[in-house]
Amino acid sequence: MRKWLAVIFLILLGFFMAKITSSFPFGKEKWGVSKHYVDRGIEENRGSNLVTSIVVNYRGFDTLGEVTVLFLAATALAFLLSTCRCRRRYERREASLIVKTASETLYPLLILFGAYIFIHGHLTPGGGFQGGTVIASAVMLMLLAHFTFHPNHRALSTVEGLAGITFVLIGFAGLIWGGSFLANNIIPLGQWNRLFSAGVIPLIYVAVGFKVGSELSGLITDMINTTKEE
Amino acid sequence: MVYRALGEFLILVGSLFLFLAGIGLLRMPDVYNRMQTGTKATTLGALSLIMGVGIYHPQWFFKTAIISLFILLTNPVSSHALARASHNKGIPLAKGSVLDRYAEDKERGLKEAENDS
Repeated sequence: MRKWLAVIFLILLGFFMAKITSSFPFGKEKWGVSKHYVDRGIEENRGSNLVTSIVVNYRGFDTLGEVTVLFLAATALAFLLSTCRCRRRYERREASLIVKTASETLYPLLILFGAYIFIHGHLTPGGGFQGGTVIASAVMLMLLAHFTFHPNHRALSTVEGLAGITFVLIGFAGLIWGGSFLANNIIPLGQWNRLFSAGVIPLIYVAVGFKVGSELSGLITDMINTTKEE
Repeated sequence: MVYRALGEFLILVGSLFLFLAGIGLLRMPDVYNRMQTGTKATTLGALSLIMGVGIYHPQWFFKTAIISLFILLTNPVSSHALARASHNKGIPLAKGSVLDRYAEDKERGLKEAENDS
């Protein structure tokens, strides 16, 4: 009975989705805000990755909100973990020599790759959030492979705070000299498709990369270290 | 063009291996055998596919070489860690398996520890 209800529900859902999406003009002429983004985005921001132009410049205020949400979530989780008496349900086994050696080789490479992603955020797909996550995955690899690996928690939170302040300060610089919050006309825009281009967009994305990377690294460290052996 | 033909051939070989890996994932009897198809065959498949693309487009060769190196570094290590973890967790081998060197090795280690103490 439940199975048939699920099937009927899925059919109805598919029907309405098809009905709704069939009225969207895919591939046709765009209008309004999206037309402005597509037609004038590169000209206005000189960033060859249009998605980054939208995320960091046109909707930069939104991104600031997202970074804040991430910060709040990390803080709340750290608080919850500090109060809980979590117990590990099984013994933690030492990683094998192969994993240890490989993780030591990969750790700097992964951090380099994460930095590459957020430094080239305005040129290639990816950006601060993705690069930061790659860096956090490098830290997680080291934490899983080595019992003795302890990232400096104080340094991580300092980096996180400084990166967040940098984002807000760039926004205020735009407000003072450019005319609006996060305005992208305070430093030269440079030439399209170069590393030093797109004005403040790469600066903001580097800050976001540092922030997300240190935040998630601290979070993972907390989660692994607060669970004690029985 | 010779290098184009070589690149096409490598891409073909790579896709064949990836296809076989896909079949193996469905057909193999236990975790360890599936892991073998999911990592050994995909390592070779992905390597020859990516290097084939790099040879077909020589301007991408350097990038594809780096990607291949990264796959060579990560894929065997991750499969090793997964297989070791599932063996330690006690996931059984398929019926008809004749050899379990890791279990023998662990037993020997235990015996040596007893002899030492």
